[in-house]
Amino acid sequence: MLSVKNIQCGYGDIVAVHDLSFDAAAGEVFALIGANGAGKTTTIMALAGHLPPNQGSITVDGCDISAGPARERLQYGIALVPEGRRVFPDLSVEDNLTVGGHTLERARLATNRDNVYQIFPRLAERRSQLAGSLSGGEQQMLAIARAMMADPKILLVDELSLGLMPKMVDECYQVVDTLKKQGLLIVLVEQSTQRALDVADQVAVLESGHLAWQGSGDEARTDSSVVSAYLGT
Amino acid sequence: MLALDLLLQGIVQGAIYALIALGLTLIYGLLRILHVAHAALFTLGGYIGVIVTNETGSLPLALIVAMVSVGLLGIVIYRLAYKPLLDQSPLVALIASIGLFIAFEEVFRLVFGSYGLSFENPPLRTQVNLGGGLLISHSKLLVIGMAIVILSILAWLSTRTRTGIAWKATVTDSQIASSFGINIERVRYLNFFIGSALAAAAGVMVALLTNLVEPTMGAVASYKALAIIVLGGLGSVRGTLVASIAIGIVESFGTVYVGHILDRDALAFAFLVIALMIRPQGLFKAG
Repeated sequence: MLSVKNIQCGYGDIVAVHDLSFDAAAGEVFALIGANGAGKTTTIMALAGHLPPNQGSITVDGCDISAGPARERLQYGIALVPEGRRVFPDLSVEDNLTVGGHTLERARLATNRDNVYQIFPRLAERRSQLAGSLSGGEQQMLAIARAMMADPKILLVDELSLGLMPKMVDECYQVVDTLKKQGLLIVLVEQSTQRALDVADQVAVLESGHLAWQGSGDEARTDSSVVSAYLGT
Repeated sequence: MLALDLLLQGIVQGAIYALIALGLTLIYGLLRILHVAHAALFTLGGYIGVIVTNETGSLPLALIVAMVSVGLLGIVIYRLAYKPLLDQSPLVALIASIGLFIAFEEVFRLVFGSYGLSFENPPLRTQVNLGGGLLISHSKLLVIGMAIVILSILAWLSTRTRTGIAWKATVTDSQIASSFGINIERVRYLNFFIGSALAAAAGVMVALLTNLVEPTMGAVASYKALAIIVLGGLGSVRGTLVASIAIGIVESFGTVYVGHILDRDALAFAFLVIALMIRPQGLFKAG
């Protein structure tokens, strides 16, 4: 479904990701792990269309989307849960979801909002509250809910657990599990390696912008020395 | 009675400041550009208002023509002057903006003459009695009414319509907004159109109140609007509105009570300095 071939991306003259390739299918969690500055967020931003790769290609169901702008990513079913959540703090919870469903027609917008509220009842309770006044965990849920509004097939999640209380991390991972069972492909970037390994079907370890190790979730879990060797944990 | 009179005068002045400064704040919020040339659009609005009123005899028509044409000019300025500079440091756009402002003033001088224009039959000069001897001219009533109507429409747009919600989201975080399919470029056009149209409306209002438009009338408006958006907490719409009214009222009372020490414009800046000493982040910090 999602196929990344030999992409290279960076900022100006600095190359942050070298020659990265992977394939991922619907109903999978693809975990990208690695230390700070390994190129995880760069990869996510390239997939989201915010940083077009200098080389290589990104295809979704056979369509090459490498050079397309971020604005058109939802047409291919790609939605972003960015690092630091980046909900719109001056907008209410409901309006954040309205932005998430910006491309939908009016009737679908309302239906999808109700669906999202069913997955996140806590957001339904706070629908008229400003997003900036929510707790970190609630903001993370809102960021996921916002991305779910346009019925994506691929969810890009950057740092799901960063800065959250353990209880909220559990809840967020439960949601990831639910979405995966609904058939979504989830590309998950995590610094908290253990949490990512627990849910991953595929694992890629990035080290200074290079792919250092790649394998199935089971391989990574059974042979944890592989992963810890690269991450130094 | 004097106090009420001054308060009213302050609100009228504040409403005009609000119309000018709102566009400036919207543009700063979206692009981080200090759009100094905004004040030239205010002047142009005044000219168009006077000329169209004199030609057709209709003030409402003049107001519409001024707002629409200046709004479109705002889009042209964004497209030709700012868009090519967005990748540069904000200082580059600031310098371009100052250059544009000076150029506009000279063009006004060349096209409309350096002595200014007035209404042939100044509209709405009659006074209304608000009770208890409190008099207000129809033109001032119109200024307050217009400001309320325009701001209500904007408030409705930005909270009740999907376009407005997308607009607010884009002002807060364009990158993420674009991830949800919002066309950032279109939002910028909308932003410049609305901001510039508001400045034009303010220009027509000032022309009504003073019955004079001249090439340099934008100068004071320019730096005062900058002071207001700083005071309001750069990029905050609510802050800008409160700061506008506050400066309007401070000026109106100050002119009478301490006017012999500080003139009106100096007062506004003294107030800005004191207010920023107490709240360095501005009245309302933008989110």
